[in-house]
Amino acid sequence: MRWFFLVLAILTVTIVSALGPRGAKFTSPPFELFPDMDRQYKVKYQKPSHFFADNQGSRKPIAGTVPLGFVQPIDASAGIGTTNLDFSVGSDYYNTGKFEDFFGEGFPEQVKVDEEFLERGQQRFEINCTVCHGKSGNGQGVVSKYWAIPPTANLLDPRVKALPEGQLFWTITHGKGLMGPYNGAINVHDRWAIVAYVKALQASTGE
Amino acid sequence: MGNIFPRWINLLPIKLIICLGALATVIAGLTWYVATPKFTRVGYAPQQPIPFDHSLHAGQLKMDCRYCHTFVEDSPHSNIPAAQTCWNCHGPGKVKADSPALEPLRQAMDTDNENYTGDPIRWVQIHETPDYAYFNHAAHVNRGVSCVECHGKVNEMSVVYHAKNLSMGFCLDCHRNVDEHLRPLDQITNLDWEAEDENVGEFYARIASKSGKSEAELMEADGIGEGDSLTQKIVGKHLQGLWNVHPPQDCASCHR
Repeated sequence: MRWFFLVLAILTVTIVSALGPRGAKFTSPPFELFPDMDRQYKVKYQKPSHFFADNQGSRKPIAGTVPLGFVQPIDASAGIGTTNLDFSVGSDYYNTGKFEDFFGEGFPEQVKVDEEFLERGQQRFEINCTVCHGKSGNGQGVVSKYWAIPPTANLLDPRVKALPEGQLFWTITHGKGLMGPYNGAINVHDRWAIVAYVKALQASTGE
Repeated sequence: MGNIFPRWINLLPIKLIICLGALATVIAGLTWYVATPKFTRVGYAPQQPIPFDHSLHAGQLKMDCRYCHTFVEDSPHSNIPAAQTCWNCHGPGKVKADSPALEPLRQAMDTDNENYTGDPIRWVQIHETPDYAYFNHAAHVNRGVSCVECHGKVNEMSVVYHAKNLSMGFCLDCHRNVDEHLRPLDQITNLDWEAEDENVGEFYARIASKSGKSEAELMEADGIGEGDSLTQKIVGKHLQGLWNVHPPQDCASCHR
């Protein structure tokens, strides 16, 4: 009996010390005791899937189909309009910032510019734009403090102030110069909210 | 006729029971120690294809979590950013464009790169709930549960590691005591926020405007006087009431 406890104690100490303390950093995938239900064979968010030839679980919509999650237009003649996800589809002013080949002035009828809209714009501006353009829009964001990259546009500059709303929307959507396109990161409604906030920032600095 | 069994045999059943009991206890103890998420998951810090430094981006530069994890407020899944998001700052002519660490990014994005593939960067997922547990990010971050509650202080991690155990007990602890974890929506991505930092006057003004009681009444009920700072319990209690937060505790809410 004495021996049994001695062996048991030695075994326990060996196992615990060999496996290390809780919370120690490690890089190999975590051990899973019963992985069969933990890791099911199904398509998951942003995960590869070997079911498809290109191994990508996230599928692009098949041409000519309406993906799940998009609203079907009730009136078929109206074409595909705005969607649940609210990314640019269609060619109207709300989705492009343009009338035919010209940038539009003012806000599209789909958005209502009120306090809530401006607050949304401020929040989205501070998430997406301040890194380069700065909190006040002066082009002196944190990036300019650390790295010598070509200067970022000063949104309070008279040149930018003169731009119509549609062009600001277009620039957020497609980028310009060194600025990348944000059409995949900010939905259409929020892009208009940012435009409204930028216009408010510009107005607050006077003429 | 002599005794067939020696005398020590009398004690054998008791000794056996004691030994087996000790063995069972040790096995159970070891399983609890090494086979639960507190051991198997906490500390997981895999090597990523690009050594992305959260303490630099989110900590030093104070970038918002949502710059990259764009749809955490809209989607059950908090997305890993598309390579385009990295490319916004690390594209040609921009920040650290020639860094050798960014080679996988150039292979994904730069059509002029000789090794261009256009394939997504294969980031390694660190926090991964089992496939039978459905966690909804949007439902949590839109009701005052900060990133930090489950992911720890990512803004201080140069290499992200699994900080909390994310076991079922971890989920239930929070679902049962939700007032200890809620914070105002504008502080969701501020991982350093403490209830004590919250401006008392502004906080009560906001609550009062929606609850129908006056600020003075609310403050008196909480025992908060002039110059006192708020506590997590008080903030959580008011926000829970304001948003009508009743975290579900039945099995089917997460295992559906």
